[in-house]
Amino acid sequence: MWFVSFVKSSIGKKIIMATTGLLLILFLAVHAFGNAAIYMGSKYFQIYADTLHGFPVLVLIFGLGLLVLFIAHISVGTLLFLESRSTRYSRYEVNKRVVENTFASRTMPFTGLFILVFTIIHVFGFNIAAPAGVPISVTVKEYLSGFFYSLFYIVSFVALAIHLNHGFWSMLQTFGVNHPRYNCLIAKLTIIVPVFFLVLFGGIPIYFMTGAGSAY
Amino acid sequence: MELNAKIPSGPLSEKWDTHRFQSKLVNPANRRKYKVIVVGTGLAGASASATLGELGYKVETFCISDSPRRAHSIAAQGGINAAKNYQNDGDSVERLFYDTIKGGDFRAREANVYRLAQVSGNIIDQCVAQGVPFAREYGGNLANRSFGGAQVSRTFYARGQTGQQLLLGAYSALSRQIKNGNVTMRPRKEMMELVVIDGRARGIITRDIITGEIQSHCADAVLLCTGGYGNAYFLSTNAMASNVTAAWRACKKGAGFANPSFVQIHPTCIPVHGTFQSKLTLMSESLRNDGRVWVPKDKDDQRPPSQIPEEDRDYYLENKYPSFGNLVPRDVASRNAKEQCDQGKGVGSTKLAVYLDFADAIKRDGEETIFRKYGNLFQMYEKIVDTDPMKDPMMIYPAVHYTMGGLWVDYNLMTTIPGLFALGECNFSDHGANRLGASALMQGLADGYFVISTSVGSYFGSETMAPADTTHEEFKTSEQNVADRISRLMRNSGDGPSGKVTVDEIHKELGRLLWDNCGMARNKEGLEHALSRLPDLKKEFWDNVYIPGTGSDLNQSLERAGRVADFLEFAEFMIRDALDRKESCGCHLREESQTEENEALRDDENYSYVSVWEYTGADNEPNLHKEPLVFENVTPSQRSYK
Amino acid sequence: MNTIDLTLKIWRQKDNDSLGNFETYTLRDITTDMSFLEMLDVLNENLTKEGKEPVAFDHDCREGICGMCGAVVDGVAHGPDKEVTLCQLHMRTFNTGDTLVIEPFRSRAFPIRKDLVVDRSAFDRVIQAGGYVSINTGGTIDGNAIPISSETAELSMDAAACIGCGACVASCPNGAAMLFTSAKISQLALLPQGQPERKKRAQAMVQQMDAEGFGHCTNEKECEMVCPKGISIRNIARLNREYMKGILMGE
Repeated sequence: MWFVSFVKSSIGKKIIMATTGLLLILFLAVHAFGNAAIYMGSKYFQIYADTLHGFPVLVLIFGLGLLVLFIAHISVGTLLFLESRSTRYSRYEVNKRVVENTFASRTMPFTGLFILVFTIIHVFGFNIAAPAGVPISVTVKEYLSGFFYSLFYIVSFVALAIHLNHGFWSMLQTFGVNHPRYNCLIAKLTIIVPVFFLVLFGGIPIYFMTGAGSAY
Repeated sequence: MELNAKIPSGPLSEKWDTHRFQSKLVNPANRRKYKVIVVGTGLAGASASATLGELGYKVETFCISDSPRRAHSIAAQGGINAAKNYQNDGDSVERLFYDTIKGGDFRAREANVYRLAQVSGNIIDQCVAQGVPFAREYGGNLANRSFGGAQVSRTFYARGQTGQQLLLGAYSALSRQIKNGNVTMRPRKEMMELVVIDGRARGIITRDIITGEIQSHCADAVLLCTGGYGNAYFLSTNAMASNVTAAWRACKKGAGFANPSFVQIHPTCIPVHGTFQSKLTLMSESLRNDGRVWVPKDKDDQRPPSQIPEEDRDYYLENKYPSFGNLVPRDVASRNAKEQCDQGKGVGSTKLAVYLDFADAIKRDGEETIFRKYGNLFQMYEKIVDTDPMKDPMMIYPAVHYTMGGLWVDYNLMTTIPGLFALGECNFSDHGANRLGASALMQGLADGYFVISTSVGSYFGSETMAPADTTHEEFKTSEQNVADRISRLMRNSGDGPSGKVTVDEIHKELGRLLWDNCGMARNKEGLEHALSRLPDLKKEFWDNVYIPGTGSDLNQSLERAGRVADFLEFAEFMIRDALDRKESCGCHLREESQTEENEALRDDENYSYVSVWEYTGADNEPNLHKEPLVFENVTPSQRSYK
Repeated sequence: MNTIDLTLKIWRQKDNDSLGNFETYTLRDITTDMSFLEMLDVLNENLTKEGKEPVAFDHDCREGICGMCGAVVDGVAHGPDKEVTLCQLHMRTFNTGDTLVIEPFRSRAFPIRKDLVVDRSAFDRVIQAGGYVSINTGGTIDGNAIPISSETAELSMDAAACIGCGACVASCPNGAAMLFTSAKISQLALLPQGQPERKKRAQAMVQQMDAEGFGHCTNEKECEMVCPKGISIRNIARLNREYMKGILMGE
């Protein structure tokens, strides 16, 4: 069947990675815009949270969808990682890369793993084990005012940015988006997109840590 | 040895059609009963394998490289000629025919050349349909460039990689037949022997280059598409593995060898720069469109070229040939470069080079224009020589490039052994004494795509053959001969290398001997000297050559040794042929036969023939047979480029 | 004439079933005008005279077009110079006293035959899977019957310039053959002659590529950097598109 051969093929797996990656980026964008309400004050953030959770079925569907995306992205990624492991290390006496700045691409599995750990802690902290009866806007401030908790968040966002730096470009390449006319723009976007998320997400713990959010 | 060229009767322009109609056919259902062996996967071999596979024959194809795509056709740069007249500049089949015959200095067969011109257009159509990315005009039509020896633009090209693209086209057609199961591809196999049973070619013996295994392969016909023998000179523009072995083995089994002394020496190559040098690199002939060739007037002039003023430079081609100037044909340009160097006026560290100067062209057209035209060649030159031709003149020197001689074939491309065909550079058929630029690709593909299918069908259709297989006595004997020969090559190697010579040392010596005496200019004295040196060289080789390793695995020294052993034997044919032909024609300049102005002087009365040499045993002189050349449609004239 | 002295660490391996190891050799007075392969010729001539077995390495045209030569020099396929094959790499790139580590192209799909000689027939099988236009000899239409814009022809030629040397595979951290496969697919996908089999071709060739044991592409760009013919990874993007079109919308 075409789908089986699609999933089995090397390019098929890459397309799954790219598609799930794209959808995860879209989710991140929505999430980031929602979270931006924090910068407007706890009142607005609480309104956003309450509105969102006013549609529990929608949240459930999106939540499950996200889970599927995550699982697909991670499992196919792991599969590719294991497949390439055999050839990846110590193939040559002299290991050398000609391409400069390969940090992001070389660390994809590790930044990915870090993001997974973060996601589990994040979902656990703000969803599953969130203090009952406390408004989410309060919980956010409580958690993120802690130095180590915030630091962990910031480091995670840096990992996300690094992951996206290669991931975003790689996704476009896998989809076949590579044209000399737009490559300059794409090159800029591989910086802009990760920095965008880093600033928007990373700003939140800094906002609370530094005390800039004391009036929140 | 009987030489019947089997040229069809009738007017020249109808011969090919008549011939195809008169040729026997094989019923499609019966074709799979016939097996054809193809040796070599260059343009001729790959296209022949693919075409015969498509027709339904069982084809088994051999090459010495790891992949059929490596064959040296891939290195052809300039282009492929075809009489399409797309440029509306007056081209026609007749004109391509005439240019080729004249370019070959009237030493080629009219009917073959005419057929070549006739099918030239089909080749382009075929290649385009295969997806060969030929250069295009902005409107989308095929682009053409002009080339030496013609006044029309009929050369089709794909950048400077035409040979590569055409070969990959043929290789893709071959790949399709391999996939379909019609062709069995056997890479890394070297043909060591031709097997002749009851007077017919019935198979070959190969050595597996990786394992050393000697194997027999039986078939109903054998096609040799194994290229030329330019590597006899050690230094040439040929690939390292190009060799004469297959053709020479066939020759020893009774195939006549035609015009072995006809070797084209290309004028624009990067000069030799050291004893370690392994090969010479061609710089496209197109450079002579804008480059001016010169040497210092004073042979002791040590100044760098930029400091030599105009009045101290000798633009010898422009001075000697005012109307053609730097664009004289290859043989003329080569000979004149040699003449200057012989007078001691050569330049560079070895004094074996002349300048090719772009300064005037740059002054006239601007750096940008010249770089756009020749940039890739300049970069290639700079990589090798480490000087920039935009600033300093290039240094060039002639180098062995192509061999017009080859196995004698009739109109069907069949050699004097029934069932043995020779295609492409391996045969002698179409270029006479000098090949025009962009015609080698044309001939290889014409033979493989369009000629051989008729010939093979006709051969199978008109003969009944007794069944044979590899258990036949001949195969066993031949296998044993090959094994014996390998152990004979290895026999000196048991007691270490001390006091021995290496394969390359002998090859280099042979190369120098041929280059000095049977190269650009030949004379009786030199040729006789070379002939007398050969037996010693052969003896030195067989008695003293040291080959490390064993015969039963990948042993590149052994491979080379086998080829050099054949070059050593074959060189005698080259020299004897050059001695016999006391006229000058095309590439072959006998110093005894020159005009007052030192130009080649042909002798049509006595030498208007193809010389065909028959091997008569190791200790005997070869027999010379002559196929007279009859010109019914053109009148041989003296070439003049003044 | 400038000369340099070198130390060479070369991979020696009898055949695919044997274990290999590095051997160290020293070479003196190597002329900087030599090509890399001519330097190896000198080494082999020396080894022969010492009664040792020369280093086996593949090579043929020695002008950078046949694709036969290739080795990894100091961790880089075809050595440190840009857009050259090993035969066009010249010794002036190196300095006296340098130690050069020379290894064969390594890939699961390229078994080592001896020393630096590898078997790249996997490439041939990828082409056999569909790297052609299925037409027979004869009966083709006139070459000018279908106009092809000059730009398209040039783009197609950019891809067609591939020499099949295998440097892309050797340099890819995953041992992928995407650049090689994409070059052939791009060449044909761009031309009108390649259209009828376009969807089938991409699927068939990718399937064969995977079956040969080549790795997958993680868009590392190494292949493009070492390609002696400067083939762009834009072709890989095109292959991805072709494959998607083929498998999602093929008949």
